[in-house]
Amino acid sequence: MTTPTAARTSAIAAEFVETGRCATLPVIDAHAHYGPFQGIYFPKPETEGMLDIMNRAGVQTSICSAHSALRDPREGNPLVVEAARRHPGRFLAYLAVNPNYPDELEEAVAALSERDPAVVGIKLHPSWHRYPLSGPAHAPAFAFADTHSLPVLSHTWGNTPTCGPEEVRRVAERYPNAPLLMGHSCFGQFDEAMALARDFPNVYLELTAAYRVSGLIERMVGTVGAEKVLFGSDLPWFDQLYGIGCVVFSHITDDDRRLILRDNAVRLFGLAN
Amino acid sequence: MTGLSFFDCNVSYGRPSVPSPRQAVGPDELLREMDWCGVGEALVTNAHQRHDDAVTGNRLVVEECAKRDRLHPAWVLMPHQTGEFPTPDELPAVLARDGVRALWAFPSRIRYLLDANTFGPTFEVLSALHVPLLLSLGESSGRLSGWDLVGALLSEYPRLTIVAADQDCWGQDRYFRPLVERYPNLYFDVADFELAGGYESYCSRYGPDRMLFATGFPGLCMGGPVLTLVHANIRAEDKAAIAGGNLRRLLSEVKL
Repeated sequence: MTTPTAARTSAIAAEFVETGRCATLPVIDAHAHYGPFQGIYFPKPETEGMLDIMNRAGVQTSICSAHSALRDPREGNPLVVEAARRHPGRFLAYLAVNPNYPDELEEAVAALSERDPAVVGIKLHPSWHRYPLSGPAHAPAFAFADTHSLPVLSHTWGNTPTCGPEEVRRVAERYPNAPLLMGHSCFGQFDEAMALARDFPNVYLELTAAYRVSGLIERMVGTVGAEKVLFGSDLPWFDQLYGIGCVVFSHITDDDRRLILRDNAVRLFGLAN
Repeated sequence: MTGLSFFDCNVSYGRPSVPSPRQAVGPDELLREMDWCGVGEALVTNAHQRHDDAVTGNRLVVEECAKRDRLHPAWVLMPHQTGEFPTPDELPAVLARDGVRALWAFPSRIRYLLDANTFGPTFEVLSALHVPLLLSLGESSGRLSGWDLVGALLSEYPRLTIVAADQDCWGQDRYFRPLVERYPNLYFDVADFELAGGYESYCSRYGPDRMLFATGFPGLCMGGPVLTLVHANIRAEDKAAIAGGNLRRLLSEVKL
């Protein structure tokens, strides 16, 4: 391999190319999952396999929600909390909420109130649940997040009625103290997502799948600043090295790379640095 | 450094109708982005070929690659019946003259049927010459599309080398592994092969020989596929094959 120009101009790029990780930049993945999912073959969907992927990519911590928790939070949420307990610092948990079972919402908020220290946020998936992000059944979770400044990661996707930019705008206005990570950055409506991240101090761009769009990371950094962009991978869907490669080889500064791959998540989730 | 010699089989330059945030308006800009990411060579098409006028684009890509030894031209396949592409009889000499060792097919974009009626004799020529045909999985032909179309073509023309290109990021193993087992001339590009642990899982069972390195630039960011392969949990010789060895072998076997 000819030495990439990126590796001559960026110490971070040079180290990732050479070793697959960066000693001074242990990555935090703000958008991961856990466990199998029928729509895709995962070679490594659970703890040990995910750790292997993380170790090869220099990822210190993956913040996960269990796939099964999107169907039944009572069944799935404990799986990822248990993984986080067994591997402190390597996994942290989002508690998923399913708005289609309104009689369980009180229980969901109670689970948030009594949450394990490994739980650092709430996961919502409006398109999977076919329920709008701004709908009333999400309100208890958002209200809790707003009161406690607990981050909310929502799947967002462009041109999707349940979780497109307009839905994000509604909840961002309603819950200004809840940090809201737009999972996938409203994929396909990136300009609208960037406008939201610029307009609302509590709204962030999350890179899962979006990182692969050539030049998008540069545009995000140039438009809203690297402080509003967080790395995520959807592990065990996608290899973290792929997304990290997109960040590392972007035409941005090493300071930007540090913010995206680690520092923003440390700040937002209140992690020990 | 890694010792890998990257040869990208799926990359293009020129101004597309829908721009990517980052693109290469010309071949020299493409070479700069390849340098940025450590990619040595590429099999290229241009925006004319992909977006508006394959006839003009096929001519230009040859001219532009002739001045740049790291770029190798690929043509876009067209029906010869309209006079827009060489007839099967003419094709070997024309490919040899222009140094074209690979073709792309965009049947739905260019509006033709990628089948025996349109291309039967052409496919026989390509098979005999060992010229690989890259088929974008986002394309369709009649009622067939994606992996279905790939399987149908290989079923009828098993000697034709087909490179299934542009698979999307959602793991495709359940689609392509059965075809890999059945058709020895099927290859696929890895531009968006993002599956966590995907290289390790696939290569441990099938080896690296059917995988061709690609970046999908300018639609996709070059750095992702580079870093993923550099540090994939597979043998160094398997990485070398995927990075460029397989494509170099395929192109060296073309009989022009």
